Amino acid sequence: MAAHSEFAPDISPVEARRQDAYFWRLLMTGTSFALFGLGAVVVGLVLLPLVRIIPAARERKRARARTVMRLALRLFVGVMHRTGVLTYEFRGREQLGRPGQLIVANHPSLIDVVFLLAFVPSAGCVVKGGLWRNPLTRSAVTLVEFIRNDSTAEMIVAAADALRAQPLIFFPEGTRTRPREPMVFHRSGANIALRAAARLTPVYIRVRPTTLTKAEPWYRIPARRPHFALIVGEDVDLQPYRSAPLPLASRELNERLLAQFEAELERPAC
Amino acid sequence: MQSHDEILERIRSTLVQLFQLDAAAVTPGARLYEDLEIDSIDVVDLMDEVQRHTGRKVTPEDFRSVRTVGDLVAVMQRLLHA
Repeated sequence: MAAHSEFAPDISPVEARRQDAYFWRLLMTGTSFALFGLGAVVVGLVLLPLVRIIPAARERKRARARTVMRLALRLFVGVMHRTGVLTYEFRGREQLGRPGQLIVANHPSLIDVVFLLAFVPSAGCVVKGGLWRNPLTRSAVTLVEFIRNDSTAEMIVAAADALRAQPLIFFPEGTRTRPREPMVFHRSGANIALRAAARLTPVYIRVRPTTLTKAEPWYRIPARRPHFALIVGEDVDLQPYRSAPLPLASRELNERLLAQFEAELERPAC
Repeated sequence: MQSHDEILERIRSTLVQLFQLDAAAVTPGARLYEDLEIDSIDVVDLMDEVQRHTGRKVTPEDFRSVRTVGDLVAVMQRLLHA
């Protein structure tokens, strides 16, 4: 077996034929990434500093900064869509964005978080702690008051606190799904839900064919145009988990959540 | 003021109740993670219990150096006598 086979796409020869304007999509994917970088510079060096210096209460500044970020990402999604890099649907998104709502989603691709932040108003998000160590991103994540995931205890306390007044987005896989490997959910999501969430809303994300996974660089675009389907599921009833002590209850809820995501993602797209 | 043994007993009953552990396994030398399978997420739940018992605000900082049941007793003592 060839040494590179580990990274070879797992698709049949018919599907592997490049279609849907492959080279145009490749060019536009690169352009989108460049535009993302440019947008980050405009947001980071012009818009967010403006939010910071215009006098307002901290909550007001946070809300403004999140709006700036959401509209910028919404524009980015629009560009990728209109240039034919991808197609998408986001079913039930009007259900998202309530205070105290914990939104959990699986994480198949690099840009899942872009979709959620582009469409969910005023949401906070648990993101990797590295963003606070990078001088380019530190001031942005500080201003929008996202929550860093590098200390579990502090993350849980901060997330529970945020849920008092805001919606919060959480990826229980922590990092992107590795294609063809089983999903693993960190229990902290279930723990936060039982501690502080008024409602727990799952968002099932399917990307067909897969793209921008953990295992591939941006320029390895799929032979066909990828379709992103984000489907908002029904709220998970937390009541049955309220009677047991939290350590036990959060384990049970975590298993149930994982099973539910596995079942939903198995189901053929309709 | 509570003695070391009283606090240990209290921690033992809390751990038994929260994590369904065998009381005999909860010794001062028992390591939370390796011996009792209490991970960093459970520690936050434990913090809540300590907060409830001591009536004091507990932060993750207070628990950073806790590795064993004995460390936990020491933290409780410090919080109770602070």
